[in-house]
Amino acid sequence: MTNDVIIHDVVVVGAGLAGTWAAMTAAENGVKDVAILSKIHPLRSHSGAAQGGIAAVLNNVRPVAGTGPRGPLEQIPPGEDPVDSFDLHMFDTIKGSDWLGDQDAIEILVKDAPDVVVQYEHMGCVFSRTPDGRIAQRRFGGHSAPRANFSADRTGLVLLHTIHEQALYHNVKFYSEWYVMDLIIEDNIARGVVAINVLTGKIQMIRAKAVMFGTGGYGQAYKVTSNAYANTGDGVAMAYDAGAPLMDMEFVQFHPTGLYRHGFLMTEACRGEGGYLINKDGDRFMSKYAPEKMELAPRDLVSRSEQTEINEGRGVMEDGQGLFLDMRHLGREKIMERLPEVRDLAIAFAHVDAIDEPVPIQPTAHYSMGGIPTTADGEVLANAKGDLVTGFFAAGEVACVSVHGANRLGTNSLLEASVFGRRAGHAIADFVKGGAKLYPVTSDPVKRNHQQVQQLFDNDGPELVEDIVQELKTTMTNKAGIYRNEEDLKSALDTIHRLQQRFKNIRVMDKSSRFNTNLSMTLEAKHLLTFSEVIVQGALNRTESRGAHSRTDHPKRDDESWLKHTMAHKGEDGRPQLSYKDVTLYWDRFPPQERKY
Amino acid sequence: MSNDNTQRTVTVSIQRFDPDVDKKPHMQDYQVEMTKGMTILDALHEIKTHQDGSVTYRRSCRHGICGSCAMLINGRNTLACKTPLIDEVGHKNRVTLGPLPYLPIIKDMVVDRTTFWEQYLRVKPWLIPPDDIPEKEFRMSKEEVNALHDAESCIMCGACYSSCTVIGLNKHYVGPHALLKAFMRVMDPRDEAPGQRLADLDGADGVYRCHTVFNCIDACPKGLNPTQAIETLRKLAQKRKKFETTRRKRQQHLHEPIPAK
Ligand SMILES: Cc1cc2nc3c(=O)[nH]c(=O)nc-3n(C[C@H](O)[C@H](O)[C@H](O)COP(=O)(O)OP(=O)(O)OC[C@H]3O[C@@H](n4cnc5c(N)ncnc54)[C@H](O)[C@@H]3O)c2cc1C
Ligand code: FES
Repeated sequence: MTNDVIIHDVVVVGAGLAGTWAAMTAAENGVKDVAILSKIHPLRSHSGAAQGGIAAVLNNVRPVAGTGPRGPLEQIPPGEDPVDSFDLHMFDTIKGSDWLGDQDAIEILVKDAPDVVVQYEHMGCVFSRTPDGRIAQRRFGGHSAPRANFSADRTGLVLLHTIHEQALYHNVKFYSEWYVMDLIIEDNIARGVVAINVLTGKIQMIRAKAVMFGTGGYGQAYKVTSNAYANTGDGVAMAYDAGAPLMDMEFVQFHPTGLYRHGFLMTEACRGEGGYLINKDGDRFMSKYAPEKMELAPRDLVSRSEQTEINEGRGVMEDGQGLFLDMRHLGREKIMERLPEVRDLAIAFAHVDAIDEPVPIQPTAHYSMGGIPTTADGEVLANAKGDLVTGFFAAGEVACVSVHGANRLGTNSLLEASVFGRRAGHAIADFVKGGAKLYPVTSDPVKRNHQQVQQLFDNDGPELVEDIVQELKTTMTNKAGIYRNEEDLKSALDTIHRLQQRFKNIRVMDKSSRFNTNLSMTLEAKHLLTFSEVIVQGALNRTESRGAHSRTDHPKRDDESWLKHTMAHKGEDGRPQLSYKDVTLYWDRFPPQERKY
Repeated sequence: MSNDNTQRTVTVSIQRFDPDVDKKPHMQDYQVEMTKGMTILDALHEIKTHQDGSVTYRRSCRHGICGSCAMLINGRNTLACKTPLIDEVGHKNRVTLGPLPYLPIIKDMVVDRTTFWEQYLRVKPWLIPPDDIPEKEFRMSKEEVNALHDAESCIMCGACYSSCTVIGLNKHYVGPHALLKAFMRVMDPRDEAPGQRLADLDGADGVYRCHTVFNCIDACPKGLNPTQAIETLRKLAQKRKKFETTRRKRQQHLHEPIPAK
C-alpha cells in the first residue's frame, strides 16, 4: 500500500483563516514541508463569508462627545486620550461569555489582537480607512468601544485572500479538494490523516509529525443557518471518533439577523452602523430587554428577545416568524459605502432594498462556541486534567480555547481564528524543529476507510441521506435551539438515536470514483449525527441558563454547580461520556457578576 | 423582479458528462417542484439529494460570496446560488444548465480550473511591501482604498474568465481575473514593485491580449469591471517609469497621516 502514503512534516486540515495562518506561520518560521488539505478550494472557505469586522483595540476612533452610545464616530486626533483598553476588551468578552470563557486565554486573544490586525495590513489587506488614513473602526454588539476593524462588509473575504496569498508566497503546498475522512491517533499520538482525493476518488494516507485541524464550525446541524454547506463539523466529529474530547458543544450561537427564510447573514454591522430592530407594531422592542445597549446587546440576548416577540405574536411576515431590520434612516450614502454586500443580498433574496424598506429577518444558527479543547498554543487536550494529545493541534471555530465561553461577541472569531491560528503555527514550528518524530502507523487506516466506503456503496438501503439530515436539522432547531427544556432535549436525543439507526439503511446514489460529492455529503451527514448527539447530551445535563444555552425549566445561571466546562469523550458504548473542567478566572480582576445590558 | 407565488413543476435540463464512462456530453431532464424563493442551486440540491446523486456541481456558501457555483445558466455564465429559478424558466417552464465554457470538464458542471489558478499565481497576487515597515498600519487615503474596490470584491468565481473569447483561443493569456488582481497590487500605494509588475504584464499574453469585447463585464455576478482595470494597466505600462517615480514619492509618506482636505 506504499503508493497510498504521502509524507509531510506538517499537515494542516482546513484552509480558512485558522489553518492558513498556522501553515503560513510554521513555514515562515523554518518548517520546510508544510501542506494544507481542504475539501473545497482554499479561497472558498467559509472565513471568506464573514462581513462585519475583526476586533482589536487600536484606538483609531471614538464616539463624538455628547452624542450618546449610538451617535456618530470620529477619528481620535493625535495625542488625545484613548477610549479603549485591553482591560475593557477583556471585560466585554468575559461578560459576553457569561463568565464561561477562560480568562487567561481571553487575555492572550485581546493582547495579540492589535499585532495580528496590523500584520494583516502590512501583508496587503485592504481595510476601510479614517480620514487620516488609519484603519477604520465601527461599533459591534457587546463591545463597549468601537473596535471592529473592517473592510466595508466583506472583511472575511479580504482577510482570507490576504493570508492565502502569503501562504502561497511561503511555499505552503495546497491539496485543494481533498476530503479528509479520518484522523489517525494511536497511543495518544497524532500520526496523520486519511483523505479522499475528490478528483480521482483515491483514498490516501498522509502521515506527518504534526497534524493541525482548522476545519471550521458546525452550523449545518440547524435548519435555518448562516453557515455554508461545508460547515458540517467534520473536524469535531473526526477528533471525537479518534478519541479526543469535545468541550462545551451545547453552546451554539444564534445570530439575531439572518435573512428571513434563507438564514443568510445580515451582518451585525447593520446595527453597529445604527440600524433598528422593529416588531409588527413598529416598536423598537429591544428597549424592553436591554434598555441601555438596545440593538447592540450581545447576540444571545437579542436572539432570545426576538424569539419572545415572535412567540408572543408580535412577529411580521405571513407566518409571524420574522421581524424587521430597519436601516432606512442611515441613508443611501452610508449603506452604499459600508454595507453594499448585505444590501445586495437583501435585494437578491428578499427583493427588498434596504435603502427604501425594512428588511425581514429572523434568528439564524451562526457560530459554534464548542469544539476541540486546546491550550492557548493550539495544543489539543486529551482530558479534563490537561494532558495533551502529542502532535495534534487545532484552532479557529473547530477549537475551544475557550475565549467565547457561553456566547461569542461579534468580530471576536475572525480574531480568534487569526490569533490562535498564528500561535498554533509558532507552536508547530517549535514542535517540529524541537525534534518531533514521524511516528509509524501500526494499523491499516487506508484499508479501514476503503471498507467503510465500500460498505456505504454496497448498502443500497431504502433511506435517503437527505431525509435523515432534514429531520435532524428540524429537530435541532425546534428542540435544541434558542430555548431548550428537559422534555424537548430528551425527545431530541431519542430522535438522533433513531436517525443514527436509520443511517445504517442508507443508499449512496453515485458510486463512481470521479468527483463523487454524493459520497462526501454522506460522510458529512454521518458527522452531523455524531456531534449533534454531543450537543444535546451536554445541553440536557446542564441544568442552568448561561449565554446561548437557555433552559426555560432552569432559567437562572447557577455558578455554584455549573461554572465549569463540559467535556465529552466517546464512550465504549459509542455514547458521549461527560466530565467537567474548571474555568480559569482572575477572581481579583473579573469575578462573576450578574449579566445585564 | 420575480413574481414569486407561482408553484409549478419545471424542467431542469442538465448537461451530463463523466469522462470515465461517457464518450461525449449529453442532456438529461429532471422535473422539479418549484417552491417560493427557490434558486438554481436549491433546484440542483433537490435533484441531487432526492433524484440523482450523480449530478455533480460545486457549491458552498449559498449566497454569492465563495465563488464556487459559477456555471452556464441558459447560455449565460453566472452564480447558481444567486439566480432565482423563476427568473430563468420562462413560459416554457424550462431551464438549461451546463459547465462554464472553454474549460475541460471534470464531471457535469465541475470544470478543471488549473489554468485559471496558474494565471492567478503568475501575477504574484501577494503584496510586495517596502522595506521600511511602520510599527502601526501604513496610512492610506479613502480614495486609494476606493480605487481598489473592484479588485478586492472579486470572489474568483471564473465567470469572467470563461466568458472571455481570448481565453477560448489562448490559455496563455493571463485573463481578466488575474489582471484584476494585478491591478489591485499595482494600484496599492503599499506595493513596492508596480514597475516590475507592469513590465511582466506588458508581453504578448498580458494586457495587450485583451480585445475589449466586454464579455467579462457582462458575466461578472458582482458587477465588477475588469476591462477598465485592464485598460488602466495598459496605460500605466506605457508610462511605467513615471509611475514608478510617483510610487516611490508616495511611499516616502506611507507612515504619515493623510493631510486633511
Ligand atoms: C456569514 C458569517 C459571517 C461572519 N462574520 C463574522 C465577522 O464579521 N466577524 C467575526 O469575527 N466572525 C464572523 N463570523 C465567524 C467567522 O467567520 C468564523 O468563525 C471563522 O471564519 C472560522 O474560520 P476557520 O478558519 O476556523 O474555519 P473556516 O473558514 O470555516 O474554514 C474551514 C476549512 O476547513 C476545511 N474542511 C472542513 N472539513 C474538512 C474535511 N473533512 N476535509 C478537508 N477540509 C475540510 C474547509 O474546506 C475550509 O477550508 C461569521 C460567520 C458567518 C457564517
Ligand atoms: S455557493 Fe458560494 S457563490 Fe454560490
